[in-house]
Amino acid sequence: MTRRVVLVTFFFMVANAIAQIPKGVEIRKSLVRITTTSQEPDYKVPWNPGSMSVGVGAGFVIDGNRIMTNAHVVSNARFIVVEKEDDPQHYPATVQFIGHDCDLAVLRVLDKGFFQNTRPLTSGGIPAIESPVSVYGYPIGGERLSVTRGIISRIDFQTYTHSGIDSHLAVQIDAAINPGNSGGPVMQEGKVVGVAFQGYSGDVAQNVGYMIPTPVIRRFLKDISNGRYDGYVDLSLTYFKLVNPAERHALGLPDNEQGVMVSSVSSAGCSYGVLQQGDVLLTIDNLPIASDGFVQLDGERVEMPEIVERKFKADKVKLDILRDKKKRTVEMQLTGNWPYLMQANHYDSPPRFVLFGGLVFQPLSKNFMDAYQVEDMRLRYYYNFFVTDEIYKTHPEVIVLSNILPDPVNAYLSDLRFQIVDDINNKKVRTLEDMANAFAQKSDYYLIHFVGSARPAVLERSAVERARDRIIGNYNVQKEQFVEGGLFR
Amino acid sequence: MRAFLPILIALGFFPTAIGAAEPTPKEAPAPAEQKGSVVRVNSTNQAYDFFRPWSKEAPFSRRGMGVLIDSDKILVTAELVANSDYIELERADGGEKATATVQVIDYEANLATLRSTDPKFLEGMQPLQTTTQVKTGDELEVLQLESNGTPVSTKALVTTIEVGKYALEDSGYLMFRMSCPLQFRENSFTLPIVKENRLAAFLMRFDSRSQTIDAISGPVIEHFLVESQHQPYRGFPRAGLGFSPTRDPQLRRYLKLQDTDGGVYVNQVDQSGPAAKAGVKEGDILVAIDHTQADPDGNYLHPVYGKLSITHLTTTEAYSGQSLMITVIRNGERQQLRVELFRRPVEDYAIEPYTMGKRPRYYILGGLVFQELTRQYLREWGANWLKEAPQRLVYYDRFQSDLFPDRRKIVILTQILPTENTVGYEQLSNLVVKKFNGRKLLNLDDFAEAAKNPIAGYHKIEFEEDPHEIYLDAKQVEEDAAQLQKTYSIPELRHL
Repeated sequence: MTRRVVLVTFFFMVANAIAQIPKGVEIRKSLVRITTTSQEPDYKVPWNPGSMSVGVGAGFVIDGNRIMTNAHVVSNARFIVVEKEDDPQHYPATVQFIGHDCDLAVLRVLDKGFFQNTRPLTSGGIPAIESPVSVYGYPIGGERLSVTRGIISRIDFQTYTHSGIDSHLAVQIDAAINPGNSGGPVMQEGKVVGVAFQGYSGDVAQNVGYMIPTPVIRRFLKDISNGRYDGYVDLSLTYFKLVNPAERHALGLPDNEQGVMVSSVSSAGCSYGVLQQGDVLLTIDNLPIASDGFVQLDGERVEMPEIVERKFKADKVKLDILRDKKKRTVEMQLTGNWPYLMQANHYDSPPRFVLFGGLVFQPLSKNFMDAYQVEDMRLRYYYNFFVTDEIYKTHPEVIVLSNILPDPVNAYLSDLRFQIVDDINNKKVRTLEDMANAFAQKSDYYLIHFVGSARPAVLERSAVERARDRIIGNYNVQKEQFVEGGLFR
Repeated sequence: MRAFLPILIALGFFPTAIGAAEPTPKEAPAPAEQKGSVVRVNSTNQAYDFFRPWSKEAPFSRRGMGVLIDSDKILVTAELVANSDYIELERADGGEKATATVQVIDYEANLATLRSTDPKFLEGMQPLQTTTQVKTGDELEVLQLESNGTPVSTKALVTTIEVGKYALEDSGYLMFRMSCPLQFRENSFTLPIVKENRLAAFLMRFDSRSQTIDAISGPVIEHFLVESQHQPYRGFPRAGLGFSPTRDPQLRRYLKLQDTDGGVYVNQVDQSGPAAKAGVKEGDILVAIDHTQADPDGNYLHPVYGKLSITHLTTTEAYSGQSLMITVIRNGERQQLRVELFRRPVEDYAIEPYTMGKRPRYYILGGLVFQELTRQYLREWGANWLKEAPQRLVYYDRFQSDLFPDRRKIVILTQILPTENTVGYEQLSNLVVKKFNGRKLLNLDDFAEAAKNPIAGYHKIEFEEDPHEIYLDAKQVEEDAAQLQKTYSIPELRHL
């Protein structure tokens, strides 16, 4: 059994008075303190504006009069204020680009005077294991700028907890980093070598902090250089290491420790139709793939997905493969893989829902599962296996009867909570939009069937109309639906 | 055995010290007639370890009380003697002992009859008659034995009579709920409850905090005793359908049901069950069973017990082999369907809901352990198995009647015993096998057959999920078999 530990992001939720500036520290020309007022969407009451909180993080000036920080420092932001070390003024700032998959964001300050006397930082490479680094930020424990020192402990792929689902290169450092360090620069020899972003809470592990290394930072900056953040692309497949001799022989491979087997190909990704289950991947962009899935890149052994990690939307990738013991070469244009985002944390958009007859319908998502802590087994299966069992093919959005605002119109429907909608008036419901459209259609009654063996729900239009004002009034409903957006397009 | 854990815990938290209890005002020495009708039953039980299907878990003992029925049968709860290795009877009066064997056992109804191996052992004892005449508000007596053999009875007030959950999560039968200040005496559960010197119920669960008893009811006991006369024992029938209420006026109007119709909405029909065979379909409105009308909640008025679920009619009032007339409304028209009742044997399910007293089937191939998926296997994850066990398997179990109407067994790779053959496969576990050597599997026997026909010298195992396929060198696996067996001290590499 794998022990489950929780990584936490280093953003702290306290509003504080301005810090006094220690003199004689060069970094003060680049470091920025960020105070964000954010509003967290309320998935249980989706028409509510959500609860507000204030948090403090760090950032630093980069070229082009911009500030770089973590995405989680400015997620769901309603108002952002930045402060410089030598300047008592508070400057309002806005998010220019945000990458939730890599936990990075770039801010703009409206008052151009802010950048006077600032010094943009430049980035270095990946620091060597055991080399020393300094971490700057505004961590908990005091008001002023804080510096901590440590060494590089490990360079590895890590889950980025901000999205909860993306894994990228991350560098582990042993410098004490704490809430409030988020977004601050990690420096070595005058250059930024990382952005401090997450770690374990003290009761799990001591002195384990992580920073986002420069390859990820550079990729983000390059991605936004065309004025839009497209995000990461993905081969959208899983592979199995080919270390078992019998398996290698059966697949027609020699004992040369090369090649991995494709275990599954996502129908929603770019490999679909190009690669298939059972293919052996031999090289990627002419780099040999070892049987454990590693490739040699710039003198380092990195996992194969790292090749794709550094690419951008519409870039190409070339693979030599073995199919039915015959060699062939394939090339494909890289895209993202939308279904997996259903299991990612979402920010900066209000919860999507439809309210009808006091019944709240919402698409299944990570935020939904976190809010409701659902026990229903079918729903848990639809969530956990949405990607692997390709549930998105029949249900691009899994529409759930998530809540019932009790009213005479729905008095006998409470047992249907957390059922998944299959069809309305015998028309399949594939997305929330289908749902809204079905209710917009004039009909004497709306017959809702659910997935599996639940009884149907019947809502008479006349009864729903009679109940409408009553429900809106009683429950202070500010909006009856919010349908725009969504992952599936 | 984890299914029974709640009972053990409930008794473990019993407030009073062992044995030393003073009789409370509600207790009284049991009447002399009952003294000669009960025996102590000590059972040493040992369940199979489904994570290591070639071995058994540590033995443990349970003590309870049995009731003499029909001069030679001892009635006990099934959980007292489930997975028993050794059963001992002990006379309450003298302390003489004799061994016993299980005659008939029904895990669903949670009842079993035992027979003494010494026919003279029960001489002089008085069989107890049974009764079903129990109403809410009645005061019954729970029988216990002091450590010196003196019978004691405690008054218990019947508070609720309803169809409730028995020892297994899928089985619900008529249950008596009672309020009773029961004292702890020895480590015993499964106690008889009598009314006017007749056996009225059997204690199944006791909650020491709320001081409530859930008891196996007289009608269930009588059904079991009648059915146990039949060879072979056919069990409690089930119609094989699920229903939900039709109280909602909007639903009733849509279905064009009159207020006088009553009726419930059939939302699930077990494709292998009696209702399906009789032609009952999902979406039917079940309005009556024989001449008994179902109200919109699925209840009817029982002359003695009051409002009860109609399932009582099909599971307990009727016997396997009998037939009932079920009236349904389909497309606005009444139809009568004759349902021949039976119970689907547990082996008939794709994923067996329980496995007792039976060695689990398994097949070890080159260090890969294959088993048929059973709920008992999932229960090995502990009390919280619904969340802790592999979620795909839990989902398969929960929705098995929809997912596997063909009732094929689900063969899974449960674990790896690392050998040279399994290098690179160490992390694989709990994967559903789709095909083996190109053959689709209906059960583990098919697996054993397919093992005889490797493809070009390799065993090819295909899974429903990642990594989707792996291979073993067939010749190597055969050569290494003896060594594998020795290394891991496995008595046999397969049990089918």
